[in-house]
Parts: sequence; C-alpha cells; structure tokens
Amino acid sequence: MTKPIYISSASAISPQQTYEDEGLLNEIVSTDNGELYIKEPNFRKYINPVAIRRMSRLLKMGICAGMNALEQAGVEKPDGIITGTGRGSMTDTERFLLDMIELDEGALTPTSFIQSTYNSINGWLALQTKSNGYNQTYVNRGSSFELAVLDAQLLLNEGDEQQHVLAGCFDEITPDYVRVKSKIGYWKKPTVNNLELYKNSDTNGSIAGEGAAFFCLTNKPENTICSIEQLHIIQEDSIEDVSTVLQQTLAGINLNDIDIVLSGMSGDVRFQPFYDTFLSNLSDKTSVAAFKHLCGEYDTSTGFATWLATELFKQQSLPEVLAAKQGNSGSVNNILIVNHYTLNSASVILLKKN
Amino acid sequence: MSGRIVITSTGIVSALGVGTSANQKALKDKKAGLRHPAILQTKHADEFIVGEVLHSNEELASMLNLPSAAAYTRTTLLALIAMQELMNEENQALLKDTKLALVNANTVGGMCSVEDYYLEFISDKEEGDFVQYIDTLDCAESTMHLSQHFNLKPLKATISTACSSSANAIILGARLIQAGLADKAVCGGCDALSRFTLNGFHSLKNVDKDPCRPFDKDRFGLNLGEGAGYVLLEKEEDAIARGANVLAVLSGYSNTNDAYHPTAPSPDGDGAFNTMQQALKKAKLQPEQIDYVNAHGTATLNNDAAEGKAIERLFSNANISFSSTKPYTGHTLAAAGVIEAIFSIWSLQNGVAYPNLNYNTPMEEISLQPNTEFVEKEINHCLSNSFGFGGNNVSLVFSKA
Repeated sequence: MTKPIYISSASAISPQQTYEDEGLLNEIVSTDNGELYIKEPNFRKYINPVAIRRMSRLLKMGICAGMNALEQAGVEKPDGIITGTGRGSMTDTERFLLDMIELDEGALTPTSFIQSTYNSINGWLALQTKSNGYNQTYVNRGSSFELAVLDAQLLLNEGDEQQHVLAGCFDEITPDYVRVKSKIGYWKKPTVNNLELYKNSDTNGSIAGEGAAFFCLTNKPENTICSIEQLHIIQEDSIEDVSTVLQQTLAGINLNDIDIVLSGMSGDVRFQPFYDTFLSNLSDKTSVAAFKHLCGEYDTSTGFATWLATELFKQQSLPEVLAAKQGNSGSVNNILIVNHYTLNSASVILLKKN
Repeated sequence: MSGRIVITSTGIVSALGVGTSANQKALKDKKAGLRHPAILQTKHADEFIVGEVLHSNEELASMLNLPSAAAYTRTTLLALIAMQELMNEENQALLKDTKLALVNANTVGGMCSVEDYYLEFISDKEEGDFVQYIDTLDCAESTMHLSQHFNLKPLKATISTACSSSANAIILGARLIQAGLADKAVCGGCDALSRFTLNGFHSLKNVDKDPCRPFDKDRFGLNLGEGAGYVLLEKEEDAIARGANVLAVLSGYSNTNDAYHPTAPSPDGDGAFNTMQQALKKAKLQPEQIDYVNAHGTATLNNDAAEGKAIERLFSNANISFSSTKPYTGHTLAAAGVIEAIFSIWSLQNGVAYPNLNYNTPMEEISLQPNTEFVEKEINHCLSNSFGFGGNNVSLVFSKA
C-alpha cells in the first residue's frame, strides 16, 4: 500500500493575506457581497515582464504560488508537476467564447484560447523550472486537488530515491461566472458576510471564492512540515450517499488523536446536518475550525485548507477567527480536513506534524 | 513492470463510425472520415473539413436508449456510445463489483452545448432550457455520466492535458492498478467538435482546408475531429484467471514535458525523443524491437518537424514503419490518444501498419518517410505518440499478449 508523503513547503494566494506574509491572518478581509476575490500579490517577482503582459490572472496566480512553494523548499527543478483545477481560467474561456460569439466566428486572437487550456499553468511551471519530468492536470470538480495529491502520492511511492513533486491547485471566479452559477443555486440568497458564513446555515448555497495553493511534496521526512497520512476521495451520486460514505470513512479514523478538524462548513443547509453530527461527537480535546468563511466556496478550496494546516503546525495554536470551538489539546500535531462539496463529492485528508 | 497490465476490452466511436467493426473496415478500405461539417453549426462549414461522427445528438441518444438528448452534451453522448461497446454483458457483471477506476479525459467539456446557450447563461433570464447545461462545461460532466449511466461506483478522475489527455488517462489507470488502488481501470477520453475549438485552432492558423498531410513537405495544418474511446485495463494474471481475451499488453509508457514553449514543441524534437526513449526504457525494449510507430502526426508544421526528427533519431538503425492516422479521423484532441491506442492494438492483432494517407512529398528535415500503403508484417511491439499544448508529451508501448 502507499506510504505517507511529506509536505516541505506551502504557498497560497487567497482572498486573505496568506502569500509571503509574516504572521498568520493578521488582518482579515470581510465582505458583504458574497464574492471573495484574491488579494493580488506582486506577480512580477516570478514572471518576466514580457510574458506577464498577456497573462490572465489565474495563470499569474498559479505560476506565482507554484514558484513560491519551490523557492521556500529550495527546489529549483521538481521531478514532477501535478495540478488540479475545477474550472481552469474562466477569464480566458469567457473571453474567447464571447469574442467568438460577438465577432460571429470572425478573426480572433489565440491568446485567450491557449490560456483557457487547463494544462497551461503546468506548461508554464515546467518551462520556468526547465522540468522535463512527469506533468499532469486533473479537472474533476471537487476532487481536482485531491486527485493531484493522490497522483503525487503514487509518483513518490514509485521510486526509492528522494524526489520532489510540485503539486497544487487553482481556481478563479469572474463576475459572469458568479452570475451564471447563481441561476443553479450555488450561492446563498440573500448572501451573508463571509465572516458569518458557517454560522448561517439555514439556506442552500454558499459564497463564491477562489485561490491558488501549491506544495512541494517529497518521499523523505527530513526538513518537512508534515506528512499526508491519509487521503480519501469520496464521489457519489447524491448528497445523502456522500454523507453516508463520509461518515463511514471518518469511522475508520482514530478521532481522539486529532487536535484540529478543519471543516469545510460552507453555510449550506444541505450539508450542515452532516457537520453538526460529526463535529458534536468530537472530544473536548479537539478544536473545530472552519475555512470557507475566509476563502469562499470553490472546487479546490481544500488546497487552501491544506495550506492553512501547514501554518497551524508552524504556529502551534488556532487563531480565534478560524475557531468554531477551541479544544483543550495544548499542541497541534494532527489535523483532519473534512470537506463536503456542492457537486456530490467530499474528501478527508489527515495530516501529521513532523 | 511488475505484474503486467493488459487490455481486455475496448470501445470506440470516431468519424470512421460507431464501434470496432466500422472503424476497422474504414481503416482497411482507406476510407477517411473527413468532410465538411453537417452537424456542427459553424460559419466555417464550407471552408473546413472535419472528422465528424455522422449521427445527430438525437440519434446518439436513441442508440443509448435515452428518452431524449436533452441535458446531454454531445461530448457526453460520444463518451457513452464508446463506453457502451466496452460495457458488454460480461463487463457489466465484472465491473459492477470490482474496485474500479474510471479515468476519463477531455479538453473542453461540454463546450459544444455551452457555446449555443452562453448568451442566455449571462442574460437576465433565470429559467429556460439553457439552465440544464450550466454545469456541463466541466470536464468531469462526461465522467459522471459514464459512471451513472452504467451503474458503476468507480474512483473517478478526469484529466485534461490537451492532446495527450487520454494517453495520460491510460497511464494513470495502469499506475492505480499497480499501486493496488484499483483492480480494474476503464480509461479513455472524449471530445466533441465545437466552434470554440475550431475557431481556437483557426486563430492559431494551423487548420488545413484540405485533408491533412502528416509528415509531408507541403503540409499546412490539422483537421479537427471528434470521438471517444475507452479501454479496460487489468493485471495480466487477473485477466488469465478469469479467462478473458487479452488484446494487448501495455508494456511501457512515459509522460514528460518539453519545457520549451507554451504551445510549440522543441524544434529539434528533443521532447518527443525523450518521451519515446523513456517509454521504451520502461518497456525494456530497444528501438529495433518496435515494429510500428503510430505517430502523433497532426500535420502542423511544428509537430511533424519535431516528431519526425525525433523518430528518425531514435529509430535511425531500425527498419521502422511509421504513420499518422489523423488523415482518417482528424485530430480528436482528448480522444486522440485512446483512439490511436486502440488502432495500435489492432495493428498488433492484425499484423498491419496503417498507411499515412495524403503523403506525397518528403520533408526536407528528415530522410525517413512514413509508409503510404499498408505494411503487412508481424507486429510485436507498437509505439503510440500523443503530444499536446503545454509541452505535455506521452508515449505508450503496446505489445502482443
């Protein structure tokens, strides 16, 4: 069976101050309009001025988070680059599609077509790091990030020598994307302030979010932050089945060891009963935290949660802004990420501090 | 590889037809599937030829016993049609109670429908037929339908690495089985023609108005196609134990990246060379042992120059047969890898290397020439290439069981 793999660095660009930032979540961004867009860092640090002019925002987000994770880990050229995205560059997809419709299939420029390709960020990261190794992109809704991690786990288990894999995820929202998805109940109506999100779970839907998160993963424990002990990908045909399988999965985990549960409570009334039951049965030791009130709901939000976990391991405490319940465990050694996503998927990720 | 991975079933739909026998017959008769689009509604219909599956969405739906095609995208319908061939009675029983992985591949999801409804998507309208297509843009939409339609409970993964997508799906399936995370894997890909991709490639100025001419000096570009294909992978010992008909062995594979340019391959073919070499290494084969290379051969200026040089370099001392079958099917993008994998498997079974249609004038860059007629010979090992945007290169090696 597969052995654990280790996270040696983590980088996140999110709606909060999370990128190259000293101190965890010192200032919290809050909004009442139900849309959490990323705080733009200085993208020019990792992208050359000629290339950056044509690049759309998701490319810049993905490349910078990826390059920053590599820099933190001191890895110049990873052995593999594996990513997951639910939607790819919506900006480019929408732009090419609308131009094509408006120009009635007239003369179009290829830039947004090329950048709408889901693997374009992988291509850029390979190009920038001259990495000829394994390269893969998963586009599988709420399991996209998890599949990237699973593949990294396979890859790192396939060899005995130390290897470094850059794995990550990226998704963006656009005004049109938010509007279109509102027609099929993605978002809370009326919306709520993001900081109140998980306390408001009496309507369907959540708030829109986005972000990029990248990790350097390796198969040796030295100089790493934590290990990925378990990864469960749950994909069923209905919300009820997802909840059932999720409960079965969690029943197989020793919850007494868990210091913090990072729960994907999204404010959606359909998922809250599951979280209520699960979280209320945890012991006094275990803290319960939320994360979607900070990053919003999107296909690869568990990438943000995983980044958050690496920060909690470093900090050894749980900031109030995350806590739904402070447990009495004095340290942070085991974190369980439990996430339920709109399109009938869920995941469980168990991380253990090194 | 420890415990060889074999292919025991396939399903296919392409411009050559629905199912194995239609595709095999068209290949044999040198009957290309390229024509002006009849189903895809595009302003460029009189200008370009494409490899279109000559059935309307409603016809495809009725072949699947669906009440109607409503809410299904053509991408999903093509996927279901190909999968239906693979899901014969025996496999239905087999795959229902097995630890299964379903690895699908796709480049633009249900764009073929989304582009019809997009103005309604973004309008003030809240209700209408368009609503049922809002979530179909996702690549995973067809994957979900594949598992639901055939009552499967697999681990589902959808890959999107441009033109190498479904070749990558085959690799992942094999690796999941090797790692013990699946006992069987259904792997493949699907793509339907869309105005989005046609205009996209046209904006790159590499769509040919005439039938494409891979590896020809006077080639101009590609013809787009559509289709889907799936293969069933399992361990050789499991296949033998259940008395399955083993079609071929997946003896090697490789996934590498060019790291050269966002869309263009390294001009000397270093990337393609590296990928093919790694796949041979994995298969523990020497270049001389490869009897046929089913090339990526899109007929774009860049690809064929790079791939041609790489093939010449790697197989310089070998009596290699190579050809591109894209003049038959068009470039089916995410489906290309698996469709050509299936063609390669038939090549092993039937002892025949396919002709590179439309080839007249040798390229200046290489002295090696593709075979223009069928080459009948013992084919023990066959290499299939799929190279994509983003420098995503994949080579697969299939060997006789």
